[in-house]
Amino acid sequence: MSSLSTKLQEVFEEPACGKNQGKSEKERKKGCTKQLSPGAAAGGCAFDGAKIALQPITDVAHLVHGPIACEGNSWDNRHALSSGAETYRMGFTTDINELDVVYGAEKRLYKAIKEIIEKYDPPAVFVYQTCVTALIGDDIEVVCKAASKKFNKPVIPVNSPGFAGVKNLGNKLGGEALLDHVIGTQEPDYTTPYDINIIGEYNLSGELWQVKPLLDAMGVRLLACISGDAKYKEVAYSHRAKASMMVCSKAMINIARKMQERYQIPFFEGSFYGIGDMSDSLREIARLLVERGAPKDIIERTENLIASEEARAWARIAPYKERLQGKKVLLITGGVKSWSVVAALQEAGMEIVGTSVKKSTKEDKDRIKEIMGDEAHMIDDMTPREMYKMLKEARADIMLSGGRSQFVALKAKMPWLDINQERHHAYAGYEGMVKLVEEIDKTLYNPVWELVRAKAPWESPDAATV
Amino acid sequence: MTQSATHVLDHFDLFRQPEYKEMLENKRKNFENPVAAEELERVREWTKTGEYREQNFARSALTVNPAKACQPLGAVFAAVGFESTLPFVHGSQGCVAYYRSHFSRHFKEPCSCVSSSMTEDAAVFGGLNNMIDGLANAHSLYKPKMISVSTTCMAEVIGDDLNAFIKTAKEKGSVPADFDVPFAHTPAFVGSHITGYDNVMKGIFEHFWDGKANTAPKLERVPNEKINFIGGFDGYTVGNLREIKRIFNLMQVGYTILGDNSDVWDTPTDGTFRMYDGGTTLEDAANAVHAKATISMQQYCTEKTLAFIGTHGQEVLALNHPVGVAATDKFLMEVSRITGKGIPEELAKERGRVVDAIADSSAHIHGKKFALYGDPDLCLGLAGFLLELGAEPTHVLATNGNKEWIERVQALFDSSPFGKNCHVYAGKDLWHMRSLLFTEPVDFLIGNTYGKFLERDTGTPLIRIGFPIFDRHHHHRYPVWGYQGAMNVLVWILDKIFDEIDKNTIVPGKTDFSFDIIR
Repeated sequence: MSSLSTKLQEVFEEPACGKNQGKSEKERKKGCTKQLSPGAAAGGCAFDGAKIALQPITDVAHLVHGPIACEGNSWDNRHALSSGAETYRMGFTTDINELDVVYGAEKRLYKAIKEIIEKYDPPAVFVYQTCVTALIGDDIEVVCKAASKKFNKPVIPVNSPGFAGVKNLGNKLGGEALLDHVIGTQEPDYTTPYDINIIGEYNLSGELWQVKPLLDAMGVRLLACISGDAKYKEVAYSHRAKASMMVCSKAMINIARKMQERYQIPFFEGSFYGIGDMSDSLREIARLLVERGAPKDIIERTENLIASEEARAWARIAPYKERLQGKKVLLITGGVKSWSVVAALQEAGMEIVGTSVKKSTKEDKDRIKEIMGDEAHMIDDMTPREMYKMLKEARADIMLSGGRSQFVALKAKMPWLDINQERHHAYAGYEGMVKLVEEIDKTLYNPVWELVRAKAPWESPDAATV
Repeated sequence: MTQSATHVLDHFDLFRQPEYKEMLENKRKNFENPVAAEELERVREWTKTGEYREQNFARSALTVNPAKACQPLGAVFAAVGFESTLPFVHGSQGCVAYYRSHFSRHFKEPCSCVSSSMTEDAAVFGGLNNMIDGLANAHSLYKPKMISVSTTCMAEVIGDDLNAFIKTAKEKGSVPADFDVPFAHTPAFVGSHITGYDNVMKGIFEHFWDGKANTAPKLERVPNEKINFIGGFDGYTVGNLREIKRIFNLMQVGYTILGDNSDVWDTPTDGTFRMYDGGTTLEDAANAVHAKATISMQQYCTEKTLAFIGTHGQEVLALNHPVGVAATDKFLMEVSRITGKGIPEELAKERGRVVDAIADSSAHIHGKKFALYGDPDLCLGLAGFLLELGAEPTHVLATNGNKEWIERVQALFDSSPFGKNCHVYAGKDLWHMRSLLFTEPVDFLIGNTYGKFLERDTGTPLIRIGFPIFDRHHHHRYPVWGYQGAMNVLVWILDKIFDEIDKNTIVPGKTDFSFDIIR
């Protein structure tokens, strides 16, 4: 069995994934990715998934081995921010051509790695496999190994070609690359009883930075964030953390679970979205650290911090209540966000008329039921047409979703707010929830919606002519 | 040596060389009696304060950096909109050189215009001889079909009587007796370029409709189904008029553009010099009397003209430089009402597209504060569009605005929640604007090229919309009217907003955390 299919099997059998464990042996064999239906619109591929999972590591060179499209279309499109190195934003690709397809492009890849190391000298080079180079049989693992040895520098193969599956699978394959080649390869200068990892947080629009001050206030040291605003060495020595928090519920569960297995680092699943959830996450961090031997006073410190931050956030949301009372919100997102922002929106007086659970786990769904009670409208897989219908019938006043659904909302004359990766505001932490409510308010009261909904004057019945 | 024959430095680099830096520094120190740097800084900072603003606004005699031009400039603008018409400015030739360069710099086109070149003796004895010789020379040298006479201050101060002078010149054979020489008195010390535009337009229709200064019978109005359209003094005339024609053609409206500058200020480079190109034909100008109605896009450019046209039995309608969806809706609905023609599907689609574009980008404009200056109608149009976009036109200033205009702008503010904290200033100049920008800062400034000094002084990014635009090319070719025009203005505003975001995030390792590909 090739190394890719071994890996796939491994990832598919993720024991920490409740969904996977709930399946029969036969179903599990089929893998955890839903087969895509040809001809129907679908999301990103496994390559994209791996790339977005790892690209936030800021000081390494991310080299895409393939034709121009893979890097050309994905170059720096995620707003994953860096507090230092900008190397990760350079678009490195082997840009293979027809002859490479015929004769193989391994030599070109090797030379590309060499040039990167000569010109940029990053602490490591990540090499991404793509469909075409995988099909022609380029063995990036061998090339990376040879280059690693020759240049005495980590060259990490990320074997997640697009055809392997969907984006979420790619996230995991990216994680596997870290587990196989990066994590545990270096040692931190020192450790403390308060060292944690955050896994599955990409620092989109700088969200990590809204959380980091809270950790600082608790006296917690963020040893490594995988992979938002991360440096290579941080990921490499992340195995020395005392505890981990896993943020995005499904994307990198394999990293969290295997680090627990290999290095006995306990982890919990938490969220930075929503006020209650933010607080729960901080509590959980403190609890795990104490469990691992940290002095107990951190618990009180944490509670004090939570009390003051929550009070401040609610007080800042309160003024919006009047304007937002009774506004109906449709949430089209995935994973934790399908429930984690609900409380804050409800607190600001809004009503959630539906939330999509396409990318949510069973736990996510349970949470939704818990928060929203009987009125929960869980939408499993909403087609644009249904979405359009729902908006059109004015069953919602605003839709919160990713950029791809934006235009459905607009065509249905419905206010829309971006809460996925292309957004420009950070919604994490207490600060982020206040910002979200503020942005919803701005969106709802933008005069363009009046314009959008009003008929052209010649269409109204009392128009003089026509 | 800084400069050498083999490697000559241009002005960008030359004065940055050490020798020049030293020389300029010495000159300043030894010969310019400089104040201490701290004192300079103190005064500079003081000019940014509310205290200074109060004194600045108390200014009664001095105008600093006016946002207006003179009547004859508008006169020339109006005149070249007619077929083979040579603008003839009775007065000093230096003024005329200004008008020509002004238009050439904005439209990047030659601007043909002559003067009667009055000199000192003409000032003493009157400019009659200059008129006689001038008309004769202009007629024989440049072969126009019509000469439109206006005046500079010089002729106005000594009180030259154009009507009488032109009559005398014709008697003396300067031009044939039946040659069209409409005229208008356009002193620069009254009003501004929009007044001059108004006077010349009125003069031309008076000439054709009311018996050509008693040399022909007055025209008898025989109403037809056409409408007249007057654009007014407009820096976007090339793009705008073409857009308006396209809209009228789509609506199948019979129309006459009165004062059509779109070709003369956009002539092709194909080996032929066109001193005159396009323009309203003289026949159309005369027949315009029969039209059903006249629509002016700029009320303050056509106050007298519309009043005159109104007395000839047509409906007249004045708009205020409509920009944006609602303003264009109103314009089209009026055209539809007057002509009985429906709005074609194509325009309905264009409307939908611009609404879509506004919605796509609304978050970036929402709540942004703008300062805005320009001609009164342009200010009204743009302020209306900004309100429509959810932006706040915080300061709206027209040096050539009047009291009635202030009320109209205020009414516009009052019509939108986004107008709540907005203020209107008439008769103020760009030095007033400077104080406003320092004491009540805004996110963006909209104005003409002269706004770049305000941009430099106050750090308020300038979006160039207005007249003149000297330091950016070809924007006059794009319409700002119609739904397409709204789209253009939207894009210009957005471009600047995004440029600013990029500029604020561009320093590697310092601010570039959000130097993003996707905005």
